Amino acid sequence: MADAFRRAESGTQLLARLEGRSSLKNLEPYLFAEEASPVHGDVIEFHGPEGTGKTEMLYHLIARCIIPKSDGGLEVEVMFIDTDYHFDMLRLVTILENRLAQRMEEMIKQCLGRLFLVNCSTSTQLLLTLYSLENMFCTHPSLCLLILDSISAFYWIDRSNGGESLNLQEMNLKKCANFLEKLVREHHLALFATTQTLMQKSANSAESFFPLKLQHETDTDYRPYLCKSWQQMVTHRIFFSEQCNSGNSKGFTVISCHLKRNHVVKRSFSVAECGVQF
Amino acid sequence: MGIRSLAVSRSRLQDLGLFGPKGRLNPHCLLSSWPCGAVSWGGGGGAEDMVVLRAGLCPGLTEEMIQLLRANGIRTVVDFVSSDLEEVAQKCSLSYKALVAVRRVLLAQFSAFPTNGADLYEELKSSTAILPTGSPSLDQLLDSGLYTGEVTELMGAPGSGKTQVCLGIAASVSLGLKQHVLFLDSTGGFTASRLYQILRARAEDGEEQLEALQRIQVVRVFNIYEMLSALQELRDRLSQQVVSSMGPLKIVVIDSVSAVIYPLLGGKHSEGLAIMMQLARELKTLAKEFSLAVVVTNQVTRESSTGPLKPALGRSWSFVPSTRVLLESKEATWEKATTQRVASLAKSSRQPTGIQVELDIGNGDVQELSPATLTQGL
Repeated sequence: MADAFRRAESGTQLLARLEGRSSLKNLEPYLFAEEASPVHGDVIEFHGPEGTGKTEMLYHLIARCIIPKSDGGLEVEVMFIDTDYHFDMLRLVTILENRLAQRMEEMIKQCLGRLFLVNCSTSTQLLLTLYSLENMFCTHPSLCLLILDSISAFYWIDRSNGGESLNLQEMNLKKCANFLEKLVREHHLALFATTQTLMQKSANSAESFFPLKLQHETDTDYRPYLCKSWQQMVTHRIFFSEQCNSGNSKGFTVISCHLKRNHVVKRSFSVAECGVQF
Repeated sequence: MGIRSLAVSRSRLQDLGLFGPKGRLNPHCLLSSWPCGAVSWGGGGGAEDMVVLRAGLCPGLTEEMIQLLRANGIRTVVDFVSSDLEEVAQKCSLSYKALVAVRRVLLAQFSAFPTNGADLYEELKSSTAILPTGSPSLDQLLDSGLYTGEVTELMGAPGSGKTQVCLGIAASVSLGLKQHVLFLDSTGGFTASRLYQILRARAEDGEEQLEALQRIQVVRVFNIYEMLSALQELRDRLSQQVVSSMGPLKIVVIDSVSAVIYPLLGGKHSEGLAIMMQLARELKTLAKEFSLAVVVTNQVTRESSTGPLKPALGRSWSFVPSTRVLLESKEATWEKATTQRVASLAKSSRQPTGIQVELDIGNGDVQELSPATLTQGL
């Protein structure tokens, strides 16, 4: 009797499951090593030092999602969890104004109506917020993108709170990662999370991340420091870095890795008034 | 709105105590008592921001319920929310409906609410202000001025003019906008006489100058705990919206943040970094929640002797400000100390980085002051 009760779903859940989440395949083909990415269930990590365009790329993705189909967007809803208090709404509006055919207030507000923002100030609050957001994913079938900027925001505070035990230090993040995986799987979402380069790359070359043949092409400052649960659930890892240009214009590079299939691709972009341009 | 703050009052802070069991200043206690999603006593070791279930925490949570839950290993809010309520109902022989109701209330109390983008935009349009810095070229660099809701960093070597620019900003906001200013001075570099000099150069009327001086509140803080305490006091005041001698506050200037953080960094333990990130978090939440502009000053370092200048305080801090300006002296001849400076934009979400402007941190007036007086307070 309890079993049957557990497996029953509400009407909205059933509808959400059957209707299916819209495809995110055309979100940003330049960002991914493979075609037809991302698919539902993908967890994509943006990693890079400060000032390399990670947040700009997120604005670009949000704009691609919330702009209506008539203007070339995907017309889906986005949930943005901001742990850094870094989100600049005015910048997003500038990007939208540059991309919409008609710059009317009404259009902008309609697009912004598809974006949901939450701020979290501790890792415990993040975990509890994820639990309370679960309901939202059931009731909003067009909500298929979850963005977390950034998941490494509480690293030092958690580490200090956990004292000497590594387990305690990582416990909150581990629980968040596990619950995120459950959310992404059950509600067919795609998750984009940013992590900051907080540590220097270790001099130990045995810790190299890339297969040997690609190493001379890719030079990344990556040293994994978040918990194993998070590292194991990431399906794509994208590294951001600055590009040394001879001219005045500032460029950025992304190195995109598909972790399961070991495909790596390198692309460049620049940031203009209208956002990211490849 | 979606952003909620649980302000911790000063007296509660004193109750929780900054001092650990052995009477020493304990950073763990400090971290657990700062405004975060949930404030509580740690059970001894472990993550100290876990809220332990206790009677009266929310309606419907009775003492018997707590005892039954505790007997089954559910002690904190997180344990409760993450457990399977049907199992719990069976094992503890509690009503499933009651448990679901309690779960809903706990989540409403301790999690953050999502806001819709359109609503947030409406709110920002009415609450965001752009504050002039008092120097038109610096305003141009910053895309019209200092934006509220953001942390702006001024970095530069000693003597590059950071304090002068901060004084200029305080004078401009107080005189021009007639808004109150909170100035946290951690270096002892704030001199009222220099501020008065700047005000005299910008306003003729003695009455106006005096009123402008009165609107600038200076707090001298010489370590991180005093700084956090001053920010906590500010938060209390703004949350309670006390209309006192402090009128509408739009800007907080902190000169400098590196002076109080440097003593904490280094060494094996990461507690210093944790306190630095706690300060960063406090500055950003103050800026966002109360629509303030926060200006901080920082030192610079180089990776090698020929590398580019970077902000001090390390990688973790570099992510904190939204806008960063580098102040440098212009190449000066040795005979004369110059008041010319070059400001370049090192980080911005609105303008391309690398643009530069020239600033004059002196009065701009030809005064009968000797060069010694001009460099005073630099």
